[in-house]
Amino acid sequence: MIGKKSKVMIFVYLIFLAVLFLMCSTDLIIREPEKEVYQVAVIIEDAGDDNYGNFRKGMDQAAIELNADVRFITLYEKLNADGQMELLEREQQDGVDALIVAPVDRQSVEDALKVNQVTVPTVILGTGPAKEEAAGMITIDYREMGAKLAEEIKKHTSKDCPVLFVEDSCGKSDAGSSFAAGAAEALEQSGYSCRFEEPEWGEAYREMLEALSGQGTVIVAGSPEALTETVKVFEEDISFLDRFAGLYGRGTTPAILNDLDSGLITGLCVTDEFSRGYFSVCMAVEELEKMGAGKTMTMDSYYIEKDDLREPKYEKMLFPVE
Amino acid sequence: MKKCYFRWNRKGERYGKRGTLLLCLATVCVILTACSSSREEEEKTSIRIGVSLYRGDDTFINNIRSELEAKAKEYEREKGIKVTLDIQDAKGSQNTQNNQVERFISLGCDVLCINPVDRMDASVIIDKAMTAEVPVVFFNRQPVEEDMDRWDKLYYIGVDAKETALLQGQLVVDLYREQPSAIDLNGDGVVSYVLLEGESSHQDSLIRTEWSIKTLKNGGVPIEKITGGIANWERSQASALMEQWLNEYPDTIELVVSNNDDMALGAIDAMDRADISNINVIGIDGTTPGVEALESGKLLGTVSANKEVYANAIMGLAASCALGEELPQEYALTDGTYYWTSQKILTHDTADE
Repeated sequence: MIGKKSKVMIFVYLIFLAVLFLMCSTDLIIREPEKEVYQVAVIIEDAGDDNYGNFRKGMDQAAIELNADVRFITLYEKLNADGQMELLEREQQDGVDALIVAPVDRQSVEDALKVNQVTVPTVILGTGPAKEEAAGMITIDYREMGAKLAEEIKKHTSKDCPVLFVEDSCGKSDAGSSFAAGAAEALEQSGYSCRFEEPEWGEAYREMLEALSGQGTVIVAGSPEALTETVKVFEEDISFLDRFAGLYGRGTTPAILNDLDSGLITGLCVTDEFSRGYFSVCMAVEELEKMGAGKTMTMDSYYIEKDDLREPKYEKMLFPVE
Repeated sequence: MKKCYFRWNRKGERYGKRGTLLLCLATVCVILTACSSSREEEEKTSIRIGVSLYRGDDTFINNIRSELEAKAKEYEREKGIKVTLDIQDAKGSQNTQNNQVERFISLGCDVLCINPVDRMDASVIIDKAMTAEVPVVFFNRQPVEEDMDRWDKLYYIGVDAKETALLQGQLVVDLYREQPSAIDLNGDGVVSYVLLEGESSHQDSLIRTEWSIKTLKNGGVPIEKITGGIANWERSQASALMEQWLNEYPDTIELVVSNNDDMALGAIDAMDRADISNINVIGIDGTTPGVEALESGKLLGTVSANKEVYANAIMGLAASCALGEELPQEYALTDGTYYWTSQKILTHDTADE
């Protein structure tokens, strides 16, 4: 038989256990710090995300680590500045906490920030230093990238080889223009003759290359799209490979890297897109948390050839594992 | 008795006043809640769709993904409703996919579009979705019937695997009837073939194999199987298998029957390496690289699901679920759950269609 005193003790003990349970399982006593989920919208300049594969991986990684809700938004039409501004306003109206923008027209975005048309912290992905209005800037010096490529071309080809710069006919981006300008300037200074074309892709482009073949021409594609289209022509008629002195460009899509690996592309300028995506989200969140993030971050660019793909440094950068 | 009645009455009156007050407050609350929720429903101007792909590097799935993104934009423009697509790659891991589903739900997705990694193990996803009351549109990889029957807000969009196989078989039958020498390349009266199969756990793999071969036999094509292997839908695996077979059975293989285009292209890669071009290869899916191979004459034929309709069905169904609307009439669901996308044969002559 349990005595009255024992019963009381058991009862008290049970109450004590219940209190302990409550203390552990609820935030009644021990409160867990509430972590705010920041809404961040990333608006790029393209209508598709083909060139943003690694960027998105970095962006997603940062989103998980920093507890941010990041939405990736593409334009209805590629390089449509008005469309991008509408999306900026739409996202702001929808209550987004911060924006990350790869501007079609950087001036428009900066003006919108200046006149408070866009009031949320905005990180810009582009070239050049950050303006005061922007929360931050992740920049790639495409001009320097172009100059770097020019140095490599000079190593492999003589001054007699004409250089053909091809760009997307549906519009040139800031990056494409700076890259081509940087490369052309360095090449022309060394006595190379440069020619610029914005051809219609497909048969017309094939015919254009056919006419130029056999003259030792070097092709420099100003954008990943131009590079992909040139590779298509080379793939259809593999003899083009021997009829041109080289095919160069920029980009990090899996298809472009495969083409470099298969020898269709001679050399490529690449950047660490994973880090760009990761740090853009970090910069936006740090700005929201008033942690005094740096204003401008410059990403390095690298020139690689087929053999470099297997180097751990580039392998890690170009094929990031989430 | 009277006293007791009086007490009860007095107490009742007192509680009656409080009760009335509480009742009024509750009514006001209910009305306010109803108003706010109905206003919320009325004003729903954006939807968020969580999409998880079993593997982002699968060409067919990538094609569907691109179409889906295009359809989401189209829907946004037409209806004026903002569509946020959260697309994640599960990289062949069911665990990763389960975590993605959890994240989608915590981010407030209105509907989930899931291309399950393991079709036999969709119950975890369904459990999570049912608890959060978030409808799920599965696609391409069909969960087992027992799972699909668990809730009336589960849907599946795909192609009828038997129809696919019948069309693939018919493609060869038609060519054989038209010109036997185009299929029986060595003219010995027997078409020697090798078979490239997809994942053994995928429902379509077994059905495609079974019915494609049956159609060839029933269509009067004198076939003889040399060998076959599972290449898990992958180009590289198929390429390795084909390379091995070309060494083991030189000058014997006349036809490669593949469960999908990627594996068919893998076989073509091996043939290219061995400098062989006189073997017929047939695939399924009508992927972009597959159609390119058709145009260049490397692939004899393929069966293509109408990807636009496929993606439209996913988008239409998902949007209706997200908005709580009736399901679109144009997508007649079998058993209220399944939608089968139409398919067609593609050859070199019809590749552009």
